[in-house]
Amino acid sequence: MTLLFDPTQLVIELPESLQQQAWSKSQNAATPNSRWQSYLNQLTLDAFIPCATEEQEATVKPWLNSQALANISELINGTAIRLGDARLVLIPSEAEDIEELRLPQEWVDIPEWVADYYLAVQVNIDAGFIRVWGYTTHKQIKNTAIYNPTDRTYTLDDTDLIADLNALWVARELCPEEKTQVAVSPIAAISPTQANNLIQRLGNTEILLPRLAVPFTLWAALLQNSAWRNGLVEKRRGMERVSVLNWLQTEAANLVAEFGWRQVEFQPSTVGARGDTAIAMPHNALAKQLTIAGRPYELKILPIEADTWRFELRSLALGAMIPGGFTLRLLTEDRQGFEGNEDTATTPVEMLYLEVALETGEGLIWEIDPTPEDYQAEVLRF
Amino acid sequence: MIPRQDIAQIFSTFIQFDFDRFSNWVSDPRLRRSISKCLSEIAQQETSENFWAIYWHKRWQKQPQGIARDHLLAYLQEVCFWSAQKTIRGFTSTQYKIPDGFQIAIAGVDKVLKGFNGDRGFNLKSYASITFSNLIRELLRQRQEIDICSEWSLLRKLSQKRLDESLQNAGLSAEVREKYILAWNCFKNIYVPDRSNPTRRLAKPSPEAWKAIANLYNQEKKGQLSAPGETVKPEITEKWLLICVKAARSYLYPNVTSINQPKPGYDSGEIADSLVGEIEDSLLTEMIVEEEVQERNQQQSQINEILISALGQLKPDEQKLLELYYGQKLKQGDIAQELGTQQYTISRKLSRVRKSLLKSLSLWTKETLHISLTSDVLKGMSAVIEEWLESHYHSNP
Repeated sequence: MTLLFDPTQLVIELPESLQQQAWSKSQNAATPNSRWQSYLNQLTLDAFIPCATEEQEATVKPWLNSQALANISELINGTAIRLGDARLVLIPSEAEDIEELRLPQEWVDIPEWVADYYLAVQVNIDAGFIRVWGYTTHKQIKNTAIYNPTDRTYTLDDTDLIADLNALWVARELCPEEKTQVAVSPIAAISPTQANNLIQRLGNTEILLPRLAVPFTLWAALLQNSAWRNGLVEKRRGMERVSVLNWLQTEAANLVAEFGWRQVEFQPSTVGARGDTAIAMPHNALAKQLTIAGRPYELKILPIEADTWRFELRSLALGAMIPGGFTLRLLTEDRQGFEGNEDTATTPVEMLYLEVALETGEGLIWEIDPTPEDYQAEVLRF
Repeated sequence: MIPRQDIAQIFSTFIQFDFDRFSNWVSDPRLRRSISKCLSEIAQQETSENFWAIYWHKRWQKQPQGIARDHLLAYLQEVCFWSAQKTIRGFTSTQYKIPDGFQIAIAGVDKVLKGFNGDRGFNLKSYASITFSNLIRELLRQRQEIDICSEWSLLRKLSQKRLDESLQNAGLSAEVREKYILAWNCFKNIYVPDRSNPTRRLAKPSPEAWKAIANLYNQEKKGQLSAPGETVKPEITEKWLLICVKAARSYLYPNVTSINQPKPGYDSGEIADSLVGEIEDSLLTEMIVEEEVQERNQQQSQINEILISALGQLKPDEQKLLELYYGQKLKQGDIAQELGTQQYTISRKLSRVRKSLLKSLSLWTKETLHISLTSDVLKGMSAVIEEWLESHYHSNP
């Protein structure tokens, strides 16, 4: 079949292999609808990145790592990439007519998600192509798009979009200083209790449209905390988190693996100091392998005493140290710091570690600078 | 077709079809009065049709709802006719007639008016010609796709805007449309294709799926509808969605006889005309001032030079590609066949050539005209290039 397109629009072929790959990446979605949404988002991302790389000089990368983007696709249509220091949001649609760009509000009004450019993408699976048929800037959306309260979207007519993607490449080259964004109001934070209630409620997959089930400000506040967002996605996918203490029990080994951790044995070293020989037995600890700047590391969580936990980061490469500048950080689940929550390597060190006293039920988020390639923000419950 | 001769006629008459052929030009009295008045005001000066096209386009930008749009609609009749003829002829696999194409294209006139670069554009006709052809091709492509889709697949291939327009076109009230659109959204959420199931051949949803669709509708109607209305049964949502399918199909195939219905320049009396008087007068004086016209001409010949020199720097195969596409009007697929490659390759190659032209013109704009580049300025430049390529390779549309 001959395809008939406006020559200014970018059409990218979707080879079967790309489709299969995107489909297999979408299989752990919670519902048929979110699986299909994830599939379209993934296809768009995988097809567009090589093409954008070819068209201009800046490096093109997904906005977040693949798991983090897949988690967003569970909840919201659209995916995002970084193009040099600009951010692009791609909104796939199956519509054959290209009359409007319908953009979920999350991409426009959550401050951390705001992008420079928004691209309308038509996906036709059977004919095997995607077509980027227009784009616009955040500024244009805030100035001219219609906001639809019923489905919380912004819509722009095709005539208000720029059809020629070349204009974007040329803009990045000749006027990268153009102001493409306007300020959006910060989203008021919610308490951990509120967040956990929301996760419980919206984690139920019988709620098919979680993004419309609570007021936008609450929903946005939940999403902008990546650990809560991931928690909600896990819950919808039926992955039930329990406390870290439970994770240490031998029978939890499989469960722990679902969350990217594994159980390891360790000899408590603090035992001798108390002269208490009775507990000098091997204990279980948790370990997670990480890749930071292309090199392997391991993060461990060790129970030291009844309510004291130790976080340790070491290099897994033989004889390697942790380079200067690395930071291991712990945050409360609403992302607040606290005293003694950071350990930074000023010079290369053998390990970074933190010890914290925690009450039962307390939640913590761990972070490392630079961010590990496969990092998933998570709330660990103790 | 008999081409129109004088300015007054060009800006105030509309094509009448006799079945699938041109029949005659029909004059619209209100437009006739309006253009005659303008012409008499500047009687001492020679004016070209392009002068008036630019003038009405400027006025349209100031007042999109005013009489200017109707004058432009009249002006663009011929180019629309030729675009329709050219495009329909190139479309071998169908039995479409010129009025089909004409109707599709003229319905998209706002796309032409919005896309044309009023400040730096050369010729509205060239821009209209390429835009009309694109519109016709796009709609024929959509028809091809929709024709091979099952009802249930078709529903997934509509934008919400298109569905709403289709329902509106079918005469449904806002309240009813809102309900159908919610039902449609519920359908799309529940009835999802998967890889084993081609997206064009979706079968009718199972009774369980209909139940789930109705459930979701009943769950969401309170939050999403201005008047939630009654709880609906699965049969009702099915009925509604079939109405949506029918409306969408007939929207894509409008009845061609409606083409000879009363024209937009209806005779509504003098009040509307006199209200817009002041703006038009100052604009007209502004445009007649010699310098403005000169400056515009000078700028255009500069742009012309820039683009010709940029064209000269292209490789021979790139020049050939432009010649085949813009000059000989070959479709990308045919060019691909002729050059023994894939359509995607041709499309990308064309795009890259256009990008180099866009870059040359943008750099010149920035450095010579001292205009700071923005996405909007670039959008306008892109339109100038399309229009320029069209007229450069095909000076007699």
